[in-house]
Amino acid sequence: MKGFKKLLFGVAMLIAALVVAACGSEGGIEGGKDEGEVPVAKAEGEPSGTVKIANWPFYIDRKTVPEFERETGIKVQYVEEVNDNNDFLAKVQPQLQRGESGGRDIMIVTDWMANRMRELGYLQDFDEEAIAPAKANLVPQLASPAFDPERKFSLPWQSGMTGLVVNKAKAPDVTSINDLFDPKYKGRVEMLNEMRDTVPLVMMADGVRPEDATEEDWMNTIEKIREAAESGQIRKFTGNDYTRDLANGDAVAVIGWSGDAVQLQADNPDIQFVMPDEGCTLWSDNMVIPVGAPNPTAAYAWMNYVYDPENQAQIADYNYYFTPVKGTKEVLERMGSDAAKSELVFPTEEYTANCSTQDEPPGGPEVVRKVEQAWQDVITGA
Amino acid sequence: MSTVRRRLVPYFLMGPGLVWLILFFVVPLYFMGRLALESGTLATGFEFTWEFANFTDSFDRFDEQFVRSFVYAGVATVIALLIAYPLAYAIAFRGGRWKNALLLAVVAPFFTTYLIRTIAWTTILSDDSVIVDVLKAVGLLGDEGRLLATPTAVIAGLVYNFLPFMVLPIYSSLERIDVRLIEAAKDLYASARVAFWKVTLPLSMPGVVAGTLLTFIPAAGDYVNAFFLGSINQSMIGNRIQSLYLMELDYPTAAALSFILMAAILAVVVVYIRFAGAEALMGDEGEQRA
Repeated sequence: MKGFKKLLFGVAMLIAALVVAACGSEGGIEGGKDEGEVPVAKAEGEPSGTVKIANWPFYIDRKTVPEFERETGIKVQYVEEVNDNNDFLAKVQPQLQRGESGGRDIMIVTDWMANRMRELGYLQDFDEEAIAPAKANLVPQLASPAFDPERKFSLPWQSGMTGLVVNKAKAPDVTSINDLFDPKYKGRVEMLNEMRDTVPLVMMADGVRPEDATEEDWMNTIEKIREAAESGQIRKFTGNDYTRDLANGDAVAVIGWSGDAVQLQADNPDIQFVMPDEGCTLWSDNMVIPVGAPNPTAAYAWMNYVYDPENQAQIADYNYYFTPVKGTKEVLERMGSDAAKSELVFPTEEYTANCSTQDEPPGGPEVVRKVEQAWQDVITGA
Repeated sequence: MSTVRRRLVPYFLMGPGLVWLILFFVVPLYFMGRLALESGTLATGFEFTWEFANFTDSFDRFDEQFVRSFVYAGVATVIALLIAYPLAYAIAFRGGRWKNALLLAVVAPFFTTYLIRTIAWTTILSDDSVIVDVLKAVGLLGDEGRLLATPTAVIAGLVYNFLPFMVLPIYSSLERIDVRLIEAAKDLYASARVAFWKVTLPLSMPGVVAGTLLTFIPAAGDYVNAFFLGSINQSMIGNRIQSLYLMELDYPTAAALSFILMAAILAVVVVYIRFAGAEALMGDEGEQRA
C-alpha cells in the first residue's frame, strides 16, 4: 500500500508543479490575422522538383498525374487528405501558424474555407504572371466570387452541387430533402457534417431561402436536424465517407455531392444523384497556395496544366463535377464522352435554377461561431 | 564499486524511463494544462487568462457523454472479464502443448491495426450482413432492427478490441499458480468449486485487477469504436474531445475536457484499487517490498 501512496503523492506533486509552472509563463497560442501585406507566391525560373498537392478523395483520374510528370519532369506528391474542411484546417493549422505548409504547395478547400484561411493569414496571393495561362481559361461564371472577386488567391479545382444521392432500388420515391425525414427510411438516411452543405438544403425544404435566412432560421433548422438525429431518423453525419455506407447498403438516401454519385454508379447502377425538388447548393473547391509552400513555381505549372482543356477533359470525364475550364465540353464531345451530355457536368440554367450559393449564416463572425457551435453539438450528439 | 557509485546506479537505470516520461508525459501535460486555462478563438488568438470556467462549462455541456463513456467502458470491462477469465483458465490449465499456439491466437488480431479491425466490423455488422440476417431469422432482432449504430455494436467493439489486454495478465497470473496448492486444498476436502473460489481465484487476482485496468482505462477514453460502430446517440467523451480539437478548433475546452477525463479515470481507479487492494495489483512480492 505504501508504494501506491507514494505514487499518488508523486502525481499530486506533479500537478502542483504544473500549476506553479503555468503561473510563470505568459501568452498563449498565437492566432489571428496577419495585419501586414499578404505575401505573393513568386514563380522563379523553370518549374522543376516536386509539387505536393492536398486534395479530396475521388477527385482525379489515374492518368493525369503520371502524364503531367512525364510532360514536365516535375514529381507530384498527390495526397488525398481532405475529407472535411474543418478537419483539414485543424490538421494543418499548427503548421500554417508557424508559417510552414508541411511541404504542401497546393491545397484544395471549399470557398468559405479559402476565405477563412486567407483571413487567418495562411494563404499567399498568386503570381499573376505565372498563373495567367490558367486564368485565361477560367469560365466567366466562376471568375468573380464574392470572397475573391479578382481570383487573387484561389482558382477553382472543380465545382459541384450538393443534393440527394439515392439508391433508387431501395428508396425510389425520394425526390425532396423532406423525404429524408420520412419515418419509412428511419436510420437509413445520412447527412453531411459540413454545416454549409446540409443546413441550407434542409432550410430550403422548409421554404426558407438561405439568401434571406436569419440567425433564427439557422437555429430552427439545426434544431429540426437535431430532433431527427436524436430520434434515430438520421443514422450518421459523414464526410466523404458516406460513399461507403451507400455502397454497402447501410444508407439508402443521403445528402451528398453530385460527382460522387456517378463514381458510385460504376459499382451500383442504382445509385443516382437526385436534384431535390427545392433546389441544390452550389459550391467550388479551390486550389490555394499556403504560406511556406516550398515550390510555388511547380504549383503554377500544375494549375496551368489542369486548366488546359485537353487535360481538364480527362479529369471531368472521371469525376463528373462542373468543370471550371473553357473549352472542355468541345474536347469531351470529340472524345465521345458521356460527360459532355451530362447535366451534372454541364448543367443547363434550368436545371440549377433553384440552387443557392449562400452558405454562411448572416451577421458576422460572432453569429457564425454560435451557429457553428450549435451545429457541432448536433453532429457529435452533445 | 564505491558506495557513491552504487547509490547512483538505480538513478542511472531509471534515467531513460524518466527522460521518456518527462518528454512525452510531463511536458505535454504542462502544455495541455496551460491550454485548458486559455480563452479566445482561433481567429482572435488564444490568451492565457486562468479561465477556470472552461472546466465547469465543458463538464456541464458534456455530462451526458461522460456518463455514457463510463457506463460503456464499465460494461465492456465486465463482459471482457467474463469472456477472458474462462479463456485464460483453459489455456493455462488445459492448454497442454497447444498453449503457445492458443496465446498466439489471442494476440493474432493485433497483427492488423486497430483502425482496420474496427472498420472491418462495420462491414461485418452492416444492415445487409449475414449476422444481422441470422439474428432477424431467429427473432433476436426485430425486422427493423440493426446492429450498427447501436450501443450493442459500440460495446461489442470495445470488448473485442481490448480483450487481449484482459486475457494476457489473467493468463500470466494463473500460469504462475503452484498447482500443489490446489491439490492441497482438495486433500483438505475442498470440492473443485471451493478450491477455485478459495485458492485459484484469489491467487489470480493480480491478473484480474491489471486486466480490468488495462481494459477500462483505454475504453473510457476511446472514440474509434463509437465513431465507426455508433451514431451520435452513442458518442463518447473521446468523440467530443476529438471534435472540439479537430472540428471546432476550440482547443481550451478540449484540453479542459481531457483533464476532467483524466481526473475522473484516476478517481475511479483509486477507488477500485482501494477496494481490490493494491496487493492484488502488485502481487505478494509487491506487498512484501512496500
